[in-house]
Amino acid sequence: MAEFPFEISPMFEGERVRKEGMFVELGGPKSLGLELVRAMAMDEIEDDKVTVIGPNLKDMEEGKTYPWAMVFNIGGELIEADLESVIERRIHDFINYCQGIMHLNQRYDVWMRISKDTAAKMDSFDSFGKAVMMLFKTELPFIEKMQVTFYTDQAEVEKKMVEAKEIFKIRDARTKNLHDEDVDVFYGCTLCQAFAPTNVCVVSPDRVSLCGAINWFDGRAAAKVDPEGPQFAIEKGELLDSNTGEYSGVNDIAVKLSSGEFSKIKLHSFFDSPHTSCGCFEVVGFYIPEVDGIGWVSREYQGMAPNGLGFSTMAGQTGGGKQIVGFLGIGVAYFYSPKFIQADGGWNRVVWIPSMLKEKIADTIPADIMDKIATENDATDIESLKAFLQSKNHPVVARWAAAEEEEEEEEEEEEEEAEEVAVAAAPMMMPAAGFQMPAMASMPMMPAGGKAGGVKITFKKAKITIEKMTIREKKE
Amino acid sequence: MTKVIAITGKGGTGKTAVAALLIRSLSKKGKFLLAVDADADTNLPETLGCENVKTIGDAKEYLQAEITKPRPDNPDMNKEAVLKSKIYEIIEEMPGYDLLVMGRPEGSGCYCYVNNLLRGIMDKLIINYDVVIIDAEAGLEHFSRKIIRDIDDLIVVTDASRRGFRTAERIHELVDELDSNIGQIHVIANKVTDANREKLVKLAEDLKLNMIGMIPLDPKIEEMDIKGIPLFEISDDSIAAVEIESIVQKLGF
Repeated sequence: MAEFPFEISPMFEGERVRKEGMFVELGGPKSLGLELVRAMAMDEIEDDKVTVIGPNLKDMEEGKTYPWAMVFNIGGELIEADLESVIERRIHDFINYCQGIMHLNQRYDVWMRISKDTAAKMDSFDSFGKAVMMLFKTELPFIEKMQVTFYTDQAEVEKKMVEAKEIFKIRDARTKNLHDEDVDVFYGCTLCQAFAPTNVCVVSPDRVSLCGAINWFDGRAAAKVDPEGPQFAIEKGELLDSNTGEYSGVNDIAVKLSSGEFSKIKLHSFFDSPHTSCGCFEVVGFYIPEVDGIGWVSREYQGMAPNGLGFSTMAGQTGGGKQIVGFLGIGVAYFYSPKFIQADGGWNRVVWIPSMLKEKIADTIPADIMDKIATENDATDIESLKAFLQSKNHPVVARWAAAEEEEEEEEEEEEEEAEEVAVAAAPMMMPAAGFQMPAMASMPMMPAGGKAGGVKITFKKAKITIEKMTIREKKE
Repeated sequence: MTKVIAITGKGGTGKTAVAALLIRSLSKKGKFLLAVDADADTNLPETLGCENVKTIGDAKEYLQAEITKPRPDNPDMNKEAVLKSKIYEIIEEMPGYDLLVMGRPEGSGCYCYVNNLLRGIMDKLIINYDVVIIDAEAGLEHFSRKIIRDIDDLIVVTDASRRGFRTAERIHELVDELDSNIGQIHVIANKVTDANREKLVKLAEDLKLNMIGMIPLDPKIEEMDIKGIPLFEISDDSIAAVEIESIVQKLGF
């Protein structure tokens, strides 16, 4: 390793260069600060070269703030434009490894300070640039060639800033277009296992974490820095079902993280092997069997949903790291996923959202369904919701007709008995512990009718008391 | 190695005054120090002669709002670097020490991720200093969240009131439940007079609390408080400052 005038170690990562001990400040809240990594062709890069455009360190006045831009050009057989941002995120770490040099923030908000001690040991930014490039090449050996240009001249930095913002814009547009099928690796997070021990949080490009705080890019960055940390890579494995979002790798991790409690997690499914729910989720979805649709309620909504339950009650039922069929916790950004509960009809299955949330996410709700989704202003209970959906001819209404035809025959048989127990009254959602039952009874995921040898049981106005029940596999 | 000292106790017992006096004494001894105000209800900055500080709570809210946007402008944002920047920005540089205020409690969303980032940042920040002094509320919330993981010395400040001691006892119990790494627990009796001195010693013995110092009721402190003079400017020969010197020695400085 080459000799550098200052020490280099991860120990200095949190080092704070105070005003008293500062030689100069670069960028930061009072000036302009920029960092950028660009992938270039190998022959366009002069390896290990440091260029300073504008005043160099020895020309700077003590205690002053200077504008700052640093542009790293990287090349290598494996280097491609997609890697730029991954590498750029490491600038923060590597610069902070240098003793007496503080680096904060990112992109066009970069803020650096050089300590008096370190500034006294060098005249030029040359050795600093070389040290950072050495760190990059050591830790990321696929970088074969690297060169850096530092800009400290106001006009030059301004110019670079304009160019860079264009590049960031293009890069962001590309990241927003990244989907599950474009990557080989998803990320898991175990932060919530502290209170939801069987929770398996899977973060994919099309599915943000339930808390809304961790997206695929955060998972990628965190897993690279600390693979043993709370965010880690999940090889997605074989695609088992593109519609439900079932991957062999995700199933494997589901078994492992839940200690065998769950064998499958389907990323874009509401009913069949849904994602587990931690308790941190921003929004909870709930199945409303009476209309065969799904409602969503957010943490901020204080009132009751049409099923007679509020967010906190449903969150209490849903949370804890379980797969609760009929309920699903999500992050708000999942509404923006093109795969949003696609296994179960996507937006066409959504019947109710509180007005505040509906407004917040209005730009992702398909135009043709927008007015057909009720809010608390349209419906506060099942009856008014039913009437609303019918009047708007919501797509779920078509499902009712289909379901009724099937049920008619069965109903005739049941009717007599049903009348006797009419005391049980309207099919209101039962509160608390029992309230999952009605959802289960007509769960649409069951094979419909008599197909595949399945059985469909519909209870209407039923009250069932069972002392003991044994269900056994039929022996031929 | 950084020594982390947390000071807690029932409101009104003068724990913030004790914290300020400890900060004053240690920074005068040339210790590079981070003062942390971890009580939403306290006024450590004011006591130290610093006003209008921004808080970690503000920084957390900023990041939380940014990252839970349904459609983030920059999905690939380096959240750790951004949060760290916000926190380094709000660290108040005082002569000879830094001041950091925890500030308001969290909103209703999930802060697991932001707190996890914060934990990592605090771990790395703390090693900058010789000593960290934390003025903490009696519920020790920030410790249960492990924002600051290890405490070498936990000092419970109490006055002669029964409730002051009850709080000290409860904190003692709470510490066992916390399963944090807390080295030693001490008690400092504050506002001690000749009339209550014996009673305080006996109470501490009965509750098996290790009394590390007894700070006499100091009329100068009250006077400064009324005049709005920061306690940091107290003179070395005041009776409270003298007792603090002896406490600082017992803490190993």
